[in-house]
Amino acid sequence: MKRALAGRRDRTYTLCLLPSLVVLAVVTLAPTVYLVATSLTPLDLTRPATALDFSQPSGNYALLLHDDRFWNSVWVQAKLSAGTVAFQLVGGLALGLLLAVRSGFVEACRTLFLIPMVLPPIVVAIMWKVLYTPDISPVHSALAALGLPIPALITHPDWALPAIVIADVWEWLPFTALMVLAALKMMPEEALEAARIDGAAGWQVLRHVVLPYLRPALLVAGLFRLIDSVKAFPLIYILTDGGPGTVTEVTNYYAFRQAFNFSYLGFSSAITLALVAAVFLLSWWLVRVVGARGDVE
Amino acid sequence: MTCMPLHRPRGSTRRMFLKTSAAAVGLGLVAARAPAVLGQAKEFKGVTLNGACFQHAYTNVLKEFLKEFEEKTGMRVNFETPAFPVYNQRADLDLSTRGSAWDFLNITFIYSGRWIGAGWMSSLEEFLSDRNATPPDWDAGDFVSGAQASLTDAKGTRYGFAWEAGAMIMAASRYDLIEKAGMKMPETFDQLRQVCAAVDGKDGVKAFVNDNLHHWHWPPYLMGWGGKVFANPPENLTPALDSREAVESAEYYANLLRQYSPSGALSYTMDQGALAQRTGRANLRTQAIAWLAPLATAPDSTVKTTVRFAYMPRGPAGAFPGSVSHGFGIPVGAKNKRAAWEFIKWALSKEMVRRAALEKGYIAVCRKSVIDDPQYRKNMTLNGQDLAALYLRVLEESGRLGYMKYRVVPVYPQVGDKMHKAIERIVTNQQPAREAMAQAQREAVLELKKAGIKIDA
Repeated sequence: MKRALAGRRDRTYTLCLLPSLVVLAVVTLAPTVYLVATSLTPLDLTRPATALDFSQPSGNYALLLHDDRFWNSVWVQAKLSAGTVAFQLVGGLALGLLLAVRSGFVEACRTLFLIPMVLPPIVVAIMWKVLYTPDISPVHSALAALGLPIPALITHPDWALPAIVIADVWEWLPFTALMVLAALKMMPEEALEAARIDGAAGWQVLRHVVLPYLRPALLVAGLFRLIDSVKAFPLIYILTDGGPGTVTEVTNYYAFRQAFNFSYLGFSSAITLALVAAVFLLSWWLVRVVGARGDVE
Repeated sequence: MTCMPLHRPRGSTRRMFLKTSAAAVGLGLVAARAPAVLGQAKEFKGVTLNGACFQHAYTNVLKEFLKEFEEKTGMRVNFETPAFPVYNQRADLDLSTRGSAWDFLNITFIYSGRWIGAGWMSSLEEFLSDRNATPPDWDAGDFVSGAQASLTDAKGTRYGFAWEAGAMIMAASRYDLIEKAGMKMPETFDQLRQVCAAVDGKDGVKAFVNDNLHHWHWPPYLMGWGGKVFANPPENLTPALDSREAVESAEYYANLLRQYSPSGALSYTMDQGALAQRTGRANLRTQAIAWLAPLATAPDSTVKTTVRFAYMPRGPAGAFPGSVSHGFGIPVGAKNKRAAWEFIKWALSKEMVRRAALEKGYIAVCRKSVIDDPQYRKNMTLNGQDLAALYLRVLEESGRLGYMKYRVVPVYPQVGDKMHKAIERIVTNQQPAREAMAQAQREAVLELKKAGIKIDA
């Protein structure tokens, strides 16, 4: 009797879950399966017959291994991710600590600091395009008027990538600041008080009490920003188109170009899968490191 | 004193009924025999037509007159005109999925082989053979045959009609500076380099400018040097980007951009390049005539009196100015094909082309009847120079020598991208020309392999 009831309960649960599972399968699983299948074909939209050509399933991956531009894009991606995540964490931490000060003025400023984060990415990109274009840029005009002209950053091979990093950091710094601020709000006052009673100086409190407390929040913020940096697109599309040359062409952008400029969907799917695998492995490694220290659940 | 009757007599109502009926029958008869356009006005009422083309002088003219078309037909037209690369990317994506986002599109020259060859554009023969859809006086035979070539397949099926026959020439916005330096408009690559060196920075004007479409701008220099993009297009598409001529011409062209162009010119769109010349910030440019003629005609041009035009300079192997044609067509997935054809007919009618040419100074027209118009020839004499003659010379030479075949092969977008990137790397000193072109060659070979095209070993 008990077993029959349990069986009926399980069936009911399963039936209740089924619609969600079906939706999940259709929305998440099916496109992923299609992506994997496509990566095994030389699918080129100008030759529809290639959609079902599985004669050389590893063909795209073999091409990828010998594609200098793909490996260049991986290196560019690594530099972009490292730059944006590092600056956003350090800057976000500083901004978060600053905004945590209890003052009416600072509290009023908090909303202002959040503006870049809530702007549509394409608007941010256009704004920076104006700032970076010497003909119309108020920054370039002001510097030129001061006798300090600078080259066009987005067409300079040494400056194009930093220019994107600057714009990205400006846009997403408030995100890490917000996470730091939220963590600081949850911080028990007792720990700070105890440190002060023990005679710790301001920087010692920061180093030995505040930072260890913030570490999990910073790691989660870093993880989010790392994953997001791999998806960088609007800034590159609007500001540099991956150039000059391929200086700012990240892997994501290279995959986009292959798929949507040249219709090589099979090859682009292989790049995308490689990217997904890399992000997955990197995230897993980070979570493991964090998890091993018992900082993040 | 007379009183107004409170009620109309019955007889009057009957008369009114009879009159109304007679009028209705009469109107019906008139409508039945009315010109097709009256019927169309009803047919398209409520239709919203979506179309796109890259931004261009001709699309600006069309937008100016669009209201007239909407009032005439009753349809509403959403006409998008993004920048050239953005347009091509979006159109290519939509066409490749046989999408229905647009009812009419521009068939870009470099994509014509790809879009028509892949069956992504609709044949227009059905409309052309239907006298109700296309009255004979629209005159499809009036279009310059050279401009129609890329819009027609091997069987002669027409997929579009040309609104621009682009012909590359050279313009100096500040010819006065060149004269002051004791020089003339450059006729050879060597002279171009000398003129640039002599006038660069004079009066705050950079000597040269071009926009970021190096796969359009560089090949005339490549061919002038005696090089080729492909071995023998369309039969043999083996890339020839690492030849000695390719390396030398790439170095030469990159040097013009590196040394003599305004800061940031490498990211210039066509508009920005045109603006740099119109505002007198940059002097020489080799570009399609439609972008250069406004230097003498645009109301906001500050160089109207100092502009001078010339044929594309020649290299050791000759002069090979680029020529292209862009035309409007209908995607296979379009929802309103009949209405789209109505738009194309209007946009490229003799009347509209004539208005664009004679009222708005548009030069790159494709209708012979307009090109032969004495008023057009007179209008195109700018600063004492016969621009129409330059225009026809480029079209005739490119047609006679057939050197533009490289540009309409289906894989040109891919190979063009490699050339573009290589020029950028050379301009910014990331790589010497030899290395950059060798890399472009390797990448182009890889692209052709992906496209399943056999090339020489």
